[in-house]
Amino acid sequence: MHQVILDRLEEYLSGSPSSREFTTHLESCEECRAEVQEMKELSGALSALRAPEEITPSLGFYAQVARRVEAQRPRSPWSWVWLEPAFGKRVAFASLMSLVVLGSYLITRETEYSAGPPRPEAIMAQQAPADNPDMILATLASYEP
Amino acid sequence: MGTLTGTLPLPAFGSRVAVKTRVDYQNSQEGALVRRAQSGDEAAFREIVEHYQSKVFSIIHGIVRQRNDVEDIAQQVFAKVYFSIRNFDFRSSLITWIYKITVNECFDYLRKKKVRKLVYESDLSEDEVRRVENTEPSVDRQAPADETLARRDYVLKLLSRVSEEERTLLLLKEVEGRSVEELAQMTGMNENTIKVKLFRARQKLVKAAQRLDRAPGLVAG
Ligand SMILES: [Zn+2]
Repeated sequence: MHQVILDRLEEYLSGSPSSREFTTHLESCEECRAEVQEMKELSGALSALRAPEEITPSLGFYAQVARRVEAQRPRSPWSWVWLEPAFGKRVAFASLMSLVVLGSYLITRETEYSAGPPRPEAIMAQQAPADNPDMILATLASYEP
Repeated sequence: MGTLTGTLPLPAFGSRVAVKTRVDYQNSQEGALVRRAQSGDEAAFREIVEHYQSKVFSIIHGIVRQRNDVEDIAQQVFAKVYFSIRNFDFRSSLITWIYKITVNECFDYLRKKKVRKLVYESDLSEDEVRRVENTEPSVDRQAPADETLARRDYVLKLLSRVSEEERTLLLLKEVEGRSVEELAQMTGMNENTIKVKLFRARQKLVKAAQRLDRAPGLVAG
C-alpha cells in the first residue's frame, strides 16, 4: 500500500470524507484499491462485536469481585494470619494462651524435678552409653523400685 | 525525563504528546486513584470497579454474547485488575489497560469453551457425534440461522489470529469508535505508530480471511 493511502486509511475507514489526493490515487492504483476494499469489508464486519444492549451489573457485583480476589490470593503459610485482622488477632491470642499454659506446666515440672534426690532412671540414662539403645532398655527393664 | 522532553525540541511530534499525556495522567484525579489502589487501598479499588463495571460488562457482552457468562468473566477481569494494578505504569490510560484485560479474558473464555466442546465431543462415539451435529445448532459446523451471529463468529476467528495489542487497537477503533488521535492519547503512542500498527493488524485480518475462505475447515477456530 502506498503512503498516501496509508496516511488517510483510518479516516477513510471511519467514514470521514477523503481528500482528493486519496481518491485520485485509489482510482489509478489497482493494488491499493483492492487492499482498501478488503479492509473496508472487514472493518464493517468488526461492528458485529458491538454490544446489542446494556447489561446493568447486579448490586452485589463488587462483593462478588472481592470474594473472587480473596479466593485467588496467593497464600504463604503465614500470610493468612495478617490477611484477616480479626481472625489473626484471635489466632495470636490463642497462641499466646497456649504458651502461657505450656510455660507454667514446664515450670511446675522443673520444680518437681529439682525437688528431692535425683531419680534412678535419670542417673541410669546418664550412665548408659549413648550409642547403644539396647543397653539403656536393658538397664531400665532391670530396674525395680 | 519529563522536563527534558518538555523543553528540548523533538523531531517526532507524537512522542512529545505521549510524554505530556503520561505526566498529565499521573497527576490527574484518576492517576491519584490508581496510586491509592496500587498501595493497597481497598476503597480505591472499589471505586475503580464501580466506575468501570458497566463498560466492562458491555465489552464482554459484545464479544461473548452469552448473557449468563458475562458477570463471571467480568469478575475475573476485575480480579486480574486487582492483582496486576501494581504493574500499571501510566503509559496508557486506565480504561485502555482495563479494556485490554477484558478483551484478553473474553478470548481466553472462548478458547477454553472451544476446548471443552472438543473434549466433550471426543467422549462420544462417531454415531453420537453425528447425531449431536444434526440436532444441535453449532456455530462452528453449520450455517447459523442468524446472519449477525455468523458474522460475529467469523470476525472472532479472524481476531484470534492477531496479537493482543493489535486486537485491542482494532476493537477500540472499530467497536468503540475511537479516532487515531484518541487512540494515541489513550495508549501513549504517537499517531503514526497507531496508524502503522492498525494497518498491519488489518493486513493480518485480510490474510486470515483469505485463508479462512479458501479452507474453512483448516483455519476454523
Ligand atoms: Zn497505491
